[in-house]
Amino acid sequence: MANAESPVLVAQGIGHLSRNFLREVSSVFWFIVNTFQETLERMQQGRVPFRATSFFRHSQRAGVDSVPLVGLVSFFLGLTMALLTGYQLQRFGTERLIPGLVAIGFTRELGPLLTGIMVAARIGAAFTAELGTMQVSEEVEAIESMGIGPLRFLVAPRMLALVLLMPCLSTASNIAAIFATSLICKAYFSIAFPYFLDLVKDSLLIRDIVTGIFKSFLFGLLIAAIACYRGLTVKGGAAGVGSSTTSSVVTAITTVIGFDTLYNVIYTTFYPI
Amino acid sequence: MTTPEHMVALQDVRKQFEEKKVLDDLSLTVEGRERLVIMGQSGSGKSTILRLILGTLRPNSGSVFFKEFEITRLPRRKLQEVRRHIGMVYQYSALLSSRSVRDNVALPLEELTDKSRDEIDKIVDEKLELVGMEDSKDLLPEELSGGMKKRVALARALMLEPELLLLDEPSAGLDPVIASVINELIISLSEKSKVTSITVTHEMESAFRIATRMAMLYQGKIIEEAEPDEFKQSKNPVVAQFLSGSTEGPILEGSLDAITKK
Repeated sequence: MANAESPVLVAQGIGHLSRNFLREVSSVFWFIVNTFQETLERMQQGRVPFRATSFFRHSQRAGVDSVPLVGLVSFFLGLTMALLTGYQLQRFGTERLIPGLVAIGFTRELGPLLTGIMVAARIGAAFTAELGTMQVSEEVEAIESMGIGPLRFLVAPRMLALVLLMPCLSTASNIAAIFATSLICKAYFSIAFPYFLDLVKDSLLIRDIVTGIFKSFLFGLLIAAIACYRGLTVKGGAAGVGSSTTSSVVTAITTVIGFDTLYNVIYTTFYPI
Repeated sequence: MTTPEHMVALQDVRKQFEEKKVLDDLSLTVEGRERLVIMGQSGSGKSTILRLILGTLRPNSGSVFFKEFEITRLPRRKLQEVRRHIGMVYQYSALLSSRSVRDNVALPLEELTDKSRDEIDKIVDEKLELVGMEDSKDLLPEELSGGMKKRVALARALMLEPELLLLDEPSAGLDPVIASVINELIISLSEKSKVTSITVTHEMESAFRIATRMAMLYQGKIIEEAEPDEFKQSKNPVVAQFLSGSTEGPILEGSLDAITKK
């Protein structure tokens, strides 16, 4: 129903949405800053910020246990990508570009991105649900009331685990995809494995690899921060944990893709290829 | 105005959750070695008072002191240090569900002191024995009953030898024998170890057993504050109705009419 007020209402709606969005962004930013602060304060007192066992437990769960999923998805995507680009390139007799295309595509872009999306869904959701349940059952408050910093105790080990494990996972993703490409190249385009490796080595630049690794660090930090923030701000009991978990996954995936785009825009502006 | 002479002092504290005013210019002081019991209806803001003292909630106005520290103005690091001198037992225990009883109780020592594992184990055993839970060390909280959880929570609160113990409904859900044991424990802690305690409860029997002073919270204010004997004789109609559990009086006035009308 259109009336004279509707443009005003639309403008108000946009205003509300952008204000909420900015508020969320700044909350997550300060959440990260506070976690660092609390951890550093603890280290200044000459104490370990958290137990090694706690860190290893999270890295096992977030990193090692994610390898099969990340590997499998990347393997299939590598197969598809090699096959589809291969048939197109064959028309021009340039099949030997396939290895470079997939290798660059994955190390710079798809590896970190795919890994980010999968980790957000698999681990981000787990972090939010876990911390959210602790929040609603007053466990977080109990930790705080003992004089233990909950950010340092609960968030820091999770954040560190994801930040350190993400580059490893995207490397696993890259390797799986390149391996899949080598199979396709051998089977359909008669590129033997040693020649395939040479082609990959020739086309990959250190810059591509560094870009991919840097992105992975960033994505790890963002996913962990969003997931833990959503978990610790749960309100409204069991239903609250559910909706926060959904929101955590959606926000983390959107943020990862958004940051990836932003990064690429900035990067190509300063280093045009 | 600082009040180093009191253990705890709340001055003109006002706390509001959105529209609902919970505490309204409330003032309360607690002296060292005292065992204060705060009584009041469910939802009257008793637990809120405990959370304000711990600094996990902040008042909308007014100030909260623990000894010479103004809780409301302390920076995070200092606040964490101060909290080590306060032990809190939550109404629903708030044990960490993924850690065993032993790990729950050991947590404050593991995180906040440099004690070795052997020393910690010794203290854990000692505190669990105090609450009669030494046989449940390796169980997870989900394997315990509500009363057992509460005793573990009490053991955890005692780990750092607190000067002030805050207890939210410590005897609710416990059988009468265990409830008496917990009451005696609270009394002996204040007599032997000079622990001050603030207990929130509406269990009359344990309230009168523990208290050296009692306060009644009603509509956001402390309306009566007295020693147990005097408190029992209070002329205040709210206190009298609360103690007798009668439906006649200012509390929930009119609700009986509503029931009989149906």
